Amino acid sequence: MCGANKKSFWRNIPDQIIRLAVVTVLLVGGAGAIYILLPASLTSTKLHRELTVTAETEKPIRFAGSTLCGDCHQIEYEKKIVGYHKSLSCETCHGAAAAHVDDPMAATPFVPREREVCPVCHEYDPSRPTGFPQINPTIHNPLQSCANCHNPHDPVPPTTPQECSACHAGIMRTKSVSSHALIACTTCHKVPEQHKIFPRIVRATKPESRDFCGTCHSQGSSERSAPKIDLSRHEERYVCWQCHYPHLPAERL
Amino acid sequence: MNSELTHRLSELLEQVTGFIYPNEIEIHWSILIVVYPYVTGLVAGAFILASLVKVFNVVEVRPTYRLSLLTALAFLLIAPLPLVLHLGRPERAFEIFLSPNLSSAMAMFGFVYAWYLMGILLLEIWFEYRRDLIVWARQKRFPMSFLYRVLALFSTDISDKAVELDSRAAKIITMIGIPSAFLLHGYVGFIFGSVKANPWWSSVLMPIVFLMSAIVSGIALVTLLYMIITPLRGKPIDIRCLDKITSYLFYAVIVDFALEGLDFIHRLYESEESVKILSALIDQKLFISVLVMQVVLGMIVPLIMLVAVKAGRLNEDLRKLFYFTSCILIQIGIFSMRWNVVIGGQLFSKSFRGLMTYKMEVVGVEGLLMAAALLIAPFLVLAVLLKLLPAWKEAEEH
Repeated sequence: MCGANKKSFWRNIPDQIIRLAVVTVLLVGGAGAIYILLPASLTSTKLHRELTVTAETEKPIRFAGSTLCGDCHQIEYEKKIVGYHKSLSCETCHGAAAAHVDDPMAATPFVPREREVCPVCHEYDPSRPTGFPQINPTIHNPLQSCANCHNPHDPVPPTTPQECSACHAGIMRTKSVSSHALIACTTCHKVPEQHKIFPRIVRATKPESRDFCGTCHSQGSSERSAPKIDLSRHEERYVCWQCHYPHLPAERL
Repeated sequence: MNSELTHRLSELLEQVTGFIYPNEIEIHWSILIVVYPYVTGLVAGAFILASLVKVFNVVEVRPTYRLSLLTALAFLLIAPLPLVLHLGRPERAFEIFLSPNLSSAMAMFGFVYAWYLMGILLLEIWFEYRRDLIVWARQKRFPMSFLYRVLALFSTDISDKAVELDSRAAKIITMIGIPSAFLLHGYVGFIFGSVKANPWWSSVLMPIVFLMSAIVSGIALVTLLYMIITPLRGKPIDIRCLDKITSYLFYAVIVDFALEGLDFIHRLYESEESVKILSALIDQKLFISVLVMQVVLGMIVPLIMLVAVKAGRLNEDLRKLFYFTSCILIQIGIFSMRWNVVIGGQLFSKSFRGLMTYKMEVVGVEGLLMAAALLIAPFLVLAVLLKLLPAWKEAEEH
């Protein structure tokens, strides 16, 4: 009896309702199934998805932190922390150095010698604060490495070089061991004052005639220690420095 | 910085008056966000018109019942598109369903929309068309007959008892549907009304103003569609039906006008610190779109026309002309109202001391052409729906 009642109850439900119920169950069930199948991290309503936090924290540590650098590189570190770059971390310029801290010999941090590095911050940009040192890299001493004139660990506003050796250190070193060591640069080169400020635009001069070297090296010169030649017969078609390197004259080409 | 953006912003910068904050120069909610409440409003309005037949038994309006249901569906299907296109990362829109944020009014749109589409509109249309779907499935040939069978969910019962149940179910759904339609569009108003930092938006009247204007625009749209489609089908327009619909339209316009007037007077009388910038906004930036288009063309002129029809004994043709013109003007007025709310609310600085300018793109994703495409799209959807599910009496009987 009870079974028959049950049967008639199901039969009494209108056909439309059953069909709609099937569709509803399929839709809701499908949506529910998708919701369940999705990884929990995708449906988490927390501010940051848990999995993202885990993924971030699991990344290998690549940076050592600048205080560690100071333990070995005291000179550079102590200069830096009182200079204009005090707020920069060592690794800002030298790159991640955790591996170098672990094994100083195995991994060497990057040394930014290229001219492209410093202009990242110091190239002229109107949005930078007033007074921030900015240059136009195209005309600011092209081809020179920034560190030749500026010490990156203690950068100071640029000053005009006082000695030729500030820029031409290689030539100075060569000349200092040559027989011309005691001759001042300005004996042979005329150096305009502006050359110190715009070295590429205002150039120093070079001796252009054979007679200039002849002041010391021609027969009849009063300079006793200098080797003598007969200017009228000695390779008269060439200027002296085409064969003799004046900064190291003993070496013949 | 992107040079094109710099160029565009510097052009805008010249048109700023007074003092603004640096991040206010770019208007972020573009014309797409104007289209969104407009389209959603048409959905709610069309549904309310349909409910007049089912719940309030207004028999005169019966010829537009199915048309208004299908119009609501066509516009509802397009309604989320402007939002999705406006998103920089549209594929993330799905996430509101995966991690629902029940305290965010914006995120609730997904749920309100889904409920209204799946829970109300599709269900009501199914019950309304079920008998016809079965009949059409028997009459048509293979691909269409199968499609109709699928749409009818393979049901075959067209006994009087079953049809009676369909009708009762449609009525119950409509009853639930009215508050749902109110929810759908009241929600859109709530989004703006709840922005307390913006005095042009922040108002408790906003949801109800949006709702009334939605009803006005929806009824006007279905009237327009009815007046265009019926002659195209070679049938006479039922003037009794038109008279009845437009009298509802008339009441709705009056209530809408009264509410907007109340809102305006209330702001003026309260005279909060924002009143000066808001009057400057209307005076300098929105004069044409608020006073000329929204108030005069969109409300006062249609009201005068509808009053003239009611007061004078105009002949049928003149009445139709007046109805048609006033429905078009109402559409322009309601679209201007959405424009004034969405764009107007972004044209003044939070400092209350300066005004910005909105420069609309023409071709871009958020441009004029895209907005036009989005406004045309629902009509194409509607054409397909009408082809598939004819909304006319003759079709029912065959």
